[in-house]
Amino acid sequence: MRDRLGDLQVFISESPEEARPSEENQNPENAEPPELFMFDGEDEMDRIYKEAQLMQKEMLMLKLDVKRLGKQNARFLTSVRRISSIKRDSNALGRDIKARGEAIYARLEKLGKQSRELEEEHGATSAVARMARSQCVYLTKAFHEAMCEYNTAEMLQRENCKTRIQRQAEIMGKEVSREQIEEMIETGKCSLFSDNLLLEGRSARSALTEIENRHKELLELEGRIRDIHELFFQMALLVEEQGCKLDNIEANVGQTRDYMAEASAQIKKAVRYKKNNPCKKLLCCCFPCCR
Amino acid sequence: LITCNFSSAPFSEILNGVIKSVKKDGEWKVLIVDHMSMRILSSCCKMSDILAEGVTIVEDINKCREPISSLEAIYLISPMEKSVKALINDFKDTVFTYKAAHIFFTDACSDSLFAEIGRSRVAKVIKTLKEINVAFLPYESQVFSLDNPSSFKSFYGSRPCESKDRMIENMAEQIATLCDTLKEFPAVRYRKGPEDNFKLAKEVSSRLMAHKADNPSMGEGADKARSQLLIVDRGFDPISPVLHELTFQAMAYDLLDIKQDIYTYQTTGVGNSKQREVLLDEDDELWIQLRHQHIADVTKKVTELLRSFCESKRMCTDNANIKDLAQMLKKMPQYQKELTMYSTHLHLAEACMKTFKATVDKICEVEQDLAMGTNADGEPIKDPMKSIVPVLLNNDIGPFEKIRIILLFIFHKKKGIGEENLTKLIEHANIKNHSTIITNLQNLGCNIIAGGRNTGNTLPVRKERTESTYQLSRWTPVIKDIMEDAIEDKLDTKQWPFFGDRAQINTTQTTVNSARFGHWHKNKSPTEYRSGPRLIIFVIGGVSHSEMRSAYEVTRSTDGKWEVLIGSSHILTPNGFLNDLKSLDQESESAS
Repeated sequence: MRDRLGDLQVFISESPEEARPSEENQNPENAEPPELFMFDGEDEMDRIYKEAQLMQKEMLMLKLDVKRLGKQNARFLTSVRRISSIKRDSNALGRDIKARGEAIYARLEKLGKQSRELEEEHGATSAVARMARSQCVYLTKAFHEAMCEYNTAEMLQRENCKTRIQRQAEIMGKEVSREQIEEMIETGKCSLFSDNLLLEGRSARSALTEIENRHKELLELEGRIRDIHELFFQMALLVEEQGCKLDNIEANVGQTRDYMAEASAQIKKAVRYKKNNPCKKLLCCCFPCCR
Repeated sequence: LITCNFSSAPFSEILNGVIKSVKKDGEWKVLIVDHMSMRILSSCCKMSDILAEGVTIVEDINKCREPISSLEAIYLISPMEKSVKALINDFKDTVFTYKAAHIFFTDACSDSLFAEIGRSRVAKVIKTLKEINVAFLPYESQVFSLDNPSSFKSFYGSRPCESKDRMIENMAEQIATLCDTLKEFPAVRYRKGPEDNFKLAKEVSSRLMAHKADNPSMGEGADKARSQLLIVDRGFDPISPVLHELTFQAMAYDLLDIKQDIYTYQTTGVGNSKQREVLLDEDDELWIQLRHQHIADVTKKVTELLRSFCESKRMCTDNANIKDLAQMLKKMPQYQKELTMYSTHLHLAEACMKTFKATVDKICEVEQDLAMGTNADGEPIKDPMKSIVPVLLNNDIGPFEKIRIILLFIFHKKKGIGEENLTKLIEHANIKNHSTIITNLQNLGCNIIAGGRNTGNTLPVRKERTESTYQLSRWTPVIKDIMEDAIEDKLDTKQWPFFGDRAQINTTQTTVNSARFGHWHKNKSPTEYRSGPRLIIFVIGGVSHSEMRSAYEVTRSTDGKWEVLIGSSHILTPNGFLNDLKSLDQESESAS
């Protein structure tokens, strides 16, 4: 990396007057800073940026909830006390994550719709349409990541519970395979230990209680995942529809076309800054653009 | 001691050094690229990566663009006249197209262009002006490209190319930026013979010196003194780019229609039946695992992986075949990424095998015999003409396949074949309108016509390899021999001289830190610093997939002590190579 800004400044200061970036002497008006034009759809774009920002905040909250869930899950494995209160928190978190996820998804859908509308209004290759579409791709990806984090957290908990059950079963002098545990989850029954077991001693009894609790936790976890299945499904649909090209820079640049301002329908708003105006008031004029 | 974090060098340069460096919270920017920089950027980053760092839109500098004067612009461009003029143009009129300019050149900007910028109105609104020294495409973790396929004609065209010297200078600069990015200052070697090898070696050396003057940390480190850059020409091994390969990546790119690394196939997914496009790149972990494996192993492996995946997720399916994947996807949409990955590679492998069984399997055995000079039992082949004639007469086999057989036959002959015989073969094969492909190979220095202009040129003697291989995959690219010899310091200095006085010092091996390589073009989790030596191979005229594979194989065989990178102006497919050859004797189209 080689910084050449210094070289540029030296060049400018050393070059003779005539060769300097020409202060326009023909048109006195151009002694002021150049006019700024709002591009077509700039207003809509500002709204989309704001919406994107809010959505990102929501996703951050969702990710935080997922982290909290992870912590809760871990606590559940280690502390036997206050199980009932912890359980509520995990499920409550699961519900919150689902609600937040569904809300974000709804906003994603709405944004997608807005993006398509902008395409229709300004053309698919217009700046605003491309900006909006990129935001959609970006936010979809971020949301997908957040949801996958949730899935990973629950799956981790699942494995931990199963391990825990295996260990507790060992204490009871019984070997349980992961297959058997999966069956327990599927059937919903903790029937493994109901028959021909001598529950002798406190350690065996408490181990059984542990197993039953873990089993319940696994069932609830399955419930949470089932509950959110629809949302995962919708996410998958969305990702599949987008395909791999929308996130690809070369494909994006390939979509651009030469810009031609349409003289008829579009009216450009000119924003002119007064150089010495301390209030920096904006004068908004509408005039038909001609090229 | 400065070491280079190899895991993300170009990606980091661009994403962090360029885009993130000018990021301002709450302010979006426009990113403007030209063709070369767009290709570089696209091979490093995705849209979502740059959106995360404050870029809202990417524009093509050569297109007429909508003014967005409320936003500042990042210009990531090559320092060429066309791009600089377009940049200056954006700030010529009363209305500036953008609010300000942050300019990043891919490599060194000439004094004259620099002065033009300094003299124009844009100079007033330039907030950043840097040279990033990344002028190559990091195609894979050990493969690079200069993205210049038209250079093939410049090097090997029958008519002299006026701009060839200029082109060699540019390529040298690109290669130098590669070394710069990797903080390497390798000894430059070239294959003795073709003049262009020497010319390129000379230019590369000179550019390396220039870069080192600005960036003294290049080549620092005891092991780095052993790094080498080898320049070799395509004519050195014309067999590898035409042979049918049966490893996954090589086979797929040869037999299927894969453009811009996107594989397209029909499938049902979560939604209805439709076309799916998948990018075959290093974001796909399964692709990395499978791409160099033999096709027979691939289907087996993917099916195995899919089965164990399904079992672990309790998805009941007896035969994890492709159709069931849609069902699994519906049942467990949260595993879309994984299931899609498996589905893609099952389809891809199946497509390869289908095409293979149609015609290619008849050809492969003949090809291997010709390339090796021996049959599968190790006995020298006796009457190659007898085995190729049925292929040439077979109407089910396409012209390019026939040409490949003829070429391998000629290479087998070592001294070329007589013109009459060649004419006969061309007639048998009915490929008269493609015959220039064969004769144009002489431009690469290959001995095609016995007694012709390349008389005396011979193909290199290959190493005897004793590892067991599949019968139809006995050939090893010659470059692999060269890689191994270079690393073991056994490469003959008469055939592969050093340029300048950087003769290799046989230092004793110091302990090398890490054997793990990150993905140098993606921002994956950081790996340890790569302080061991590198062998960088540059092939003039295109590199084949089998040669790319060799780089990884040789690296692995050194247990991570060395890392081999290979690259060229472009990546070859057999058909691409033949098409390149076809027009070598024709008038050049005016370059854009």
